[in-house]
Parts: sequence; C-alpha cells; structure tokens
Amino acid sequence: MAHPQIAAFARLADGNAKPVRKIEGQKTLLGRTMHSIVYDEIHDEFVVPQQFGQAILTFRGGADGEEVPVRVIQGSLTQLRNPDRLGLDPVHNEIFVPQGNSVLVFSREAKGNVAPIRVIKGPDTQLGASALAVDPVHDLLVVGGTVRGVGSRLLIFNRTDQGNVKPKAVIGGPKSGLAHISGPFAVYPAKNEIIVSVRGSSNESNEMSSDKCFVGVWSTQDNGDVPPRWTIGGPKGILRMVRGVDLDPKNKSVIVTDKRLNAVLTFYFPEMF
Amino acid sequence: MSRSDRLRRTYPVVFLTLVAVITGWVLVAGNVHLSGLITAVHSALHKPSDSAQLISYDLLPAGAMDDEQCEGAPVNASSALAADPLKEGIPNSLTARSSAETAPADVSGKKPVRMIRDRYASYSSVAVDPTNNEVVVTDENLFNVLVYNRLDNTPPTAVTEPKRAIGGLKTKIEFQSGVYVDPKNGDIYAVNNDTVDTLVVFSREAKGDVRPAREVHTPHGTFGIAVDEEHQELLLTVQHDSAVVTFEKTATSEDAPIRLLQGEHTLLADPHGMALDTNDDLIFVTNHGSVHQVRAGAVAASGRIRESDLRKSNWPLGFSNAIPGSGKNLPPSITVYPRTASGDAAPLRVIQGPKTQMNWPTGIAYDPRSHELFVANDMGDSILVFSASASGDVAPIRVLTGPKTLIKNPTGVYVDANNDELWVANFGNHTATAYKLTAAGDTAPQRVIRSAPRDRPTLSIGNPHPVAYDSKREQLLVPN
Repeated sequence: MAHPQIAAFARLADGNAKPVRKIEGQKTLLGRTMHSIVYDEIHDEFVVPQQFGQAILTFRGGADGEEVPVRVIQGSLTQLRNPDRLGLDPVHNEIFVPQGNSVLVFSREAKGNVAPIRVIKGPDTQLGASALAVDPVHDLLVVGGTVRGVGSRLLIFNRTDQGNVKPKAVIGGPKSGLAHISGPFAVYPAKNEIIVSVRGSSNESNEMSSDKCFVGVWSTQDNGDVPPRWTIGGPKGILRMVRGVDLDPKNKSVIVTDKRLNAVLTFYFPEMF
Repeated sequence: MSRSDRLRRTYPVVFLTLVAVITGWVLVAGNVHLSGLITAVHSALHKPSDSAQLISYDLLPAGAMDDEQCEGAPVNASSALAADPLKEGIPNSLTARSSAETAPADVSGKKPVRMIRDRYASYSSVAVDPTNNEVVVTDENLFNVLVYNRLDNTPPTAVTEPKRAIGGLKTKIEFQSGVYVDPKNGDIYAVNNDTVDTLVVFSREAKGDVRPAREVHTPHGTFGIAVDEEHQELLLTVQHDSAVVTFEKTATSEDAPIRLLQGEHTLLADPHGMALDTNDDLIFVTNHGSVHQVRAGAVAASGRIRESDLRKSNWPLGFSNAIPGSGKNLPPSITVYPRTASGDAAPLRVIQGPKTQMNWPTGIAYDPRSHELFVANDMGDSILVFSASASGDVAPIRVLTGPKTLIKNPTGVYVDANNDELWVANFGNHTATAYKLTAAGDTAPQRVIRSAPRDRPTLSIGNPHPVAYDSKREQLLVPN
C-alpha cells in the first residue's frame, strides 16, 4: 500500500475515527508489509518485524510520530531471512520469529547484530511456520503455518524447545477447518484458548474475498483433527478476508482486522473469557 | 438512603430494563435458547446498584451496517462508486458456532460492536488523460479506479462526483498504487501493490464491476509504473524484491518480463515510484531505503512463490532466495539508470542525503521541457523539485509545501505537460490537487478533487494485517 504507518485508535473508536497517534516516517525504520505487531504490557513496548530490512524493531509503548525504535535486531548473525511475523513472551523476555522451516528465539532485550539464543529446526519439528503465539503461563509455544501437501496446522511445542524436536500436539485436518491460517494469532492462557484467523480457502482466486473466512477458537489442549469451539464473524459472516486478531480480556473483546473491508472490527464476546 | 431503600428503588428499574432487553432479544434473534435467557436473568438480578451498569448488549439489527451513507456525498455518488467491499453480499444472519460438548450459550447473529473504517476514497496515484480531459486516480481504501473531469474544482464542504468508477471483485482492483493512461486510446493501467499479483488494464469506457480487458501476472509487490510508448515497453518497480521488471507493453497473462534489474549494485532499496526520460533514455526510481540481498538458489521456493514463476526468465528473486542477515536500512534516494539497464547494474547517479529533504519519497514524475523531477515526498507533506541532472546530496530547486497547498502525505504525482499542471494524490486528506508546474512554497492549488468533506478524518489504513491491543493506553495499534 501507498503509505506505511502504525495508527493508534482509541479502544472505543468507531467508523471514521481519527487516529490518536501515528508512528511513521524515515527515522522509524518501518516498512510496509508489517504482518505482525505485539504489545508488551509488562515493559510498555511494542515490537514489529521489518521484512525488507530483515529486522526486528522495538518501540516505546507511547511512541508517536517519527520516533526511532529503542532497539533494533538486524545483521549477519541474526539468521533473519524474511521476518514476517513474530511472537513475544514478556514474562520470560523472549521474542520468537517464525521463519518457514524454523523458529528463531531472541532475547527481548537483544539489539544489534546478535544470534538467536535458540532455534527450533529439523525434520521432526514438522514446521511450516508462518505465525506463532506464546503462552507463558503454561510454557507453550503455538506455531501456525502451512506445509505443501499437508495443509495448515497448529503445532504446539514446549516454550523452551529447541533443535529438532517433535511437537507435543498437532491440530489440523479436514474437520478442523484450518484451511489457510490467515495471519498473526493470539492465545488466552486463562482459558487455554488459541484464537486464529482462517481465510477459509487456500485457493488463490479467493485471495480477494471469501465468505468462508472466520476467526476460530481452539484449545491448547486440543490434538488432532479438532473443530473450533467457536467461530466468530463467519463463515458466511461479516468478515470478507480476515487477517489478524488480538484480545482485550478486560473488556471481553476480540479485535479482528479484515483486508477486504480495510477495517478493524471489535467483537464483544464474553463467552470465551 | 439505606441499602434496603436503594434496593427497593433499584429493582423495578432493573426489572423493567430486563423485560425490555429480553423482549428486544426475542424480537431480534427470533430463536433464543432457554439457557441464554437464564444467563441474562442472572446477570441482571445479581448486581443491583444506584448506577447504570451493563447487564446485556443489544444486537445491531441485521444489515445495520449495510446502509452506511457518506455524508456530504453527491446525490448519486453511491451509484457512481463501483466498489464498496462492505456491501459485497453481506448475509442477513451472521454465524458463530461451537463444536465443544460443553458449548456455552448460542452466539449466532453476533455482529461487531465497533468497526473502524474510512468511508471515503483515499487517492494513492494520479494520471491525466489529455485527450479526454479527465483525471484518473486510484483509491486504496474502497478499491476503485475513479475518473473525474479534469476541470472539476470542489469546495471544502462537498465531494467531487466521479464520471466513472471501476471497482468490485471482477476488476481485481484492491491496493492499486500506480496508474498510467495510454495517451492514444485512454486505456487505464492500474498496478496492484499487494494481495493480487496482477496488472489490470481497462478500456477508457470501462465502469463498474467489470473484468479487465487485459491482465498481466506480475511479481508480488509492484508499485510504480512507467510506459515507454516509443519502444512499447512497460516498466514496474517491485518493492518486495527491490527490482525493476520490464514487460512488453502488450504483455498479457503469464508473459515473462523481457528485462530484470535487481541486485546489490543497483542500490534499489524498497523502490516505489518510477519516471521515464525518453529523450535521454533514462529511468528514475524513488527508494524508501530498506533492502536485503538475494542469491539464486539460496533456498527452495516456498510460501506464495509459484513454481511456474520461477521458470520464467527475468523473474526477480524473492524472499525464498534472501540471504539471511543481509538486511539494512539505507537513506532514501532517487536512483538513475539507462532505460535498458538489466542485471545487477549500478545506477548512473544517485540523489541522496540530508539536503534533499527526502522522507519516504514515493511517486515521481518527469517534465522533459524543464528537465525537472517532481517527487511526492510522503512524510515531508511536500513536492520536491530536482533538476533531472542532479546527483549526490543536493537541495531541491524548489519545494511545494505548506497549509495552503493542501498537500498531505502525497504518494502520487503527475506532470500534465499539455496543460502545464502538476497533479498530486494526497493519501493523507482525501484530495487530489492541481497546481501550476512552477508552483513553489505555500501556494494554494488551482483546483481540488475531493472524496470527502474537508473535516472528515483520514485513517490511511491500508491492508491492516495485524492488530495489537495496548492495554495501558486502551488503544488499538494498527499497522499497514
């Protein structure tokens, strides 16, 4: 799209609401294709990947305007190839980066040209990692992605796993409805829930819009071809081409982005909190 | 007042509210489960108090969001705008389901309680059809190509009515960032920067949700377009791969590019706009600055890379061929190449440095008569004008910026040589503005095309992929 930015909207913003602040401009080092953002409420920071520059950028929680990141992970030691999405464990101070057949783990406080502190990689991992989320309470790492010939799946690892390790559980299959995991997803440790946006089809012709897309809720205790406990916004709902999802537990809300609507939707959904 | 008095006064209010809510629920939902009613009753009765409190929520009527109207829009604007994705086949009932044996209350019919969405077109690029005296803009918000009368001039409280609009799922138009109008026949070429890897070409008469007259499959992330009519070639920048690909102008479907410019020596770094100097056979490219290196055979194809593309000649190397850890952020630049540059060719010249004032330089246009380059300087809210012969860290020869100009986050720029005018697509304020080519400083536009009244906020959302909730500030963080 024409203009990279991170826009911040008030929680109750609706319709043509004006952003309360924007982070944008050359000094921010931001690029377009920011396919992930995580807010760290313990340290009041947020983190985004920079795919073109192969970097991880951390900003002050209150960053505004053309503000430089407080930390940048970038360089030859990082192994970063196409950092598209990421996950954060603010409790154990770690940043997780899915990267196809591997997951890189960095110290949250790392900056500059640093190597990952752990890497999950190898044939036993079954990884086709495109997105992930960390449950720091139950020490779980949930990795989503698609492997050609296998399909989209959620792989559940121990948080501290490394090397060529098998997942503890795999959620996927025709009953699961996990056709093409759409974007970054969330976990809600208090209820052992995994909240995933699903495009509903991996068919390229449905890239623009699909009435099959939805946000699904699974459990971190699921294993196998398990359907979601709930679907939100679809199939055949308001969502046209769902992208990312995050949670506002205090207000019992699920926040969802939709590419085709070019919009941010908030669903009040107390049932899952 | 005693606690018992408070309760006596509170219970009737709560009871009446409860009745109203349940009645409304039954009327709206039509199919209410007993367990849901019990839950609602408990919610209402468990917390009597003096103050208002949320005991339930009202479902929006089915289709409540289907009929949003643009305030200030011309009478027939809704029919003139071809595409509004919000109106694409929304069903009357929205679904949610539970598969668990211990499923909670039925949540069918739930709609979002809020939707942040700009209801007005956001112009990202602009071009002029000199033969037909029309201005063509791309809209990255509601996904249209819009055609206006070139001489339209709209006051701040009104909205300009397009003569034609092309948009809808058949058109494959979404995040069109570049546009070109064929001066001979008025064909419109619109470049998709994301989501649909297709250059779409429409005839001048096209309107509504129609299939393109021609499509060309492109690399992912094309942004700028320049067409060389003399040599019948079409050049596109590719953001993701830091490349320039050249196609035959008449290319179609799966035709391969005829040239590729990509590599470390090119200094292409997140390239955006492109301009062509046919007299000197040069191309000019604006670069935001972030880049990584690629190497053939580095990694097997993965992700959205198509095997068939990898077999094409002159197809840029993508992320699957990225060299890990090679990424860097360079200062913004304009790089200059021979028109036929290919491979890992170094630029002839580079305009770069703090004197240039560049801050996310995006669109670029060339005026052959004055030998000047016009740069849409997105974050400077300015148009920077350079000599086309400039090199190194040079100041612009003039700058168009200031509150009177109405320039805000300009991403597209066009030189209308026939009418001695400069057009700017302002992504940041719902306008396209026209100036004299020699305008400088804080000069008001000669004319303004508007998709929204001046007081409407501009969200500038573009493909909001992730979202994060900032619990400290109670804010939603939405990157493009």
